[in-house]
Amino acid sequence: MNQLPLDDLTATVARIRGLLLTEEKVDRAVSLLAQAIKESLPGTPGAGVSLMDAEGKRTSSAATDALVEQLDVAQYELGEGPCITAWATGKVVIIDDLRADTRWPHWQSTVASLPVRSVVSAPLIAGKEALGAFKIYSALPGQYGESTGRALSLFAETAATLLAHIQGTETPFRMAESLKASLASRDTINRACGMLMERQGISHERALKQLIHNARVSGTTLVEASEQLASRMPPAES
Amino acid sequence: MGFDPNEPEQRGQLKNALIAADITVGELWLRYFSMTGSAGEYEVQAYLQGLISLPVIQRDLLALACNEIIAEKPPLHAPYADQMKGPGPGGQ
Repeated sequence: MNQLPLDDLTATVARIRGLLLTEEKVDRAVSLLAQAIKESLPGTPGAGVSLMDAEGKRTSSAATDALVEQLDVAQYELGEGPCITAWATGKVVIIDDLRADTRWPHWQSTVASLPVRSVVSAPLIAGKEALGAFKIYSALPGQYGESTGRALSLFAETAATLLAHIQGTETPFRMAESLKASLASRDTINRACGMLMERQGISHERALKQLIHNARVSGTTLVEASEQLASRMPPAES
Repeated sequence: MGFDPNEPEQRGQLKNALIAADITVGELWLRYFSMTGSAGEYEVQAYLQGLISLPVIQRDLLALACNEIIAEKPPLHAPYADQMKGPGPGGQ
């Protein structure tokens, strides 16, 4: 890649590093959140938080104990369960007694041997975006009712706003994609500049000016104008 | 400040366009960077605040970057009731 100033590349790499750091912050925030849920609800044996991307794939998660993790892994492997339903519908899901609840048959049979009877799962919604869900589990049936659900959804709202501020879960992916695209685009434009310089014996700046002019006249983007120029046949040798 | 008398006006109108189209400096810089722009993000920020001067070609690249982003944004449109997504009135 020619004409890539070092300071820009450094800035770009710094941006990516920043995002990786932020991702760590999200994991930490999620883990603190799981802990906070467990501690603020006396008698709760376990709590867990999962963040999901737009397709329902889990991006970050935290659980206060191994049992919660086991229940969660089963949900995301099977693609069904109270948290996925809470995330997808945006509503609190209450399971009074897991043994009698047949809404998620695969998940139910997979986790039947685990000491879990009551479950509440609340979606984490910031604005219009469903970021994920969190849940609490109890070994006894009938532990959670409408009032627990209401309390949890209030808690979820605050937590989701906080998490959304720390980092949108999709941003790192989008950023990496746009970085790749911008490097490719720089390459295309520089190649077109090089061709103009060679064909017309002009400076890099003059060539870039001409490309900008082409883009303005034809109403295309700079990278499109460059692609057009690069694909055009070179003038015949005289 | 540079010696180009048009620079403040060009910069001011770029700033207005960014605000009107709700484009962040980061967004503008990334596009400008992908168009072989050679100023760093902080320099672009400083230029927008009138703290430094940029060469004509860099200013024009910034203008083109801004215009490309604007062209990609969906045009402003006030929605009708049946175009609203999400929960209806009273629902949450």
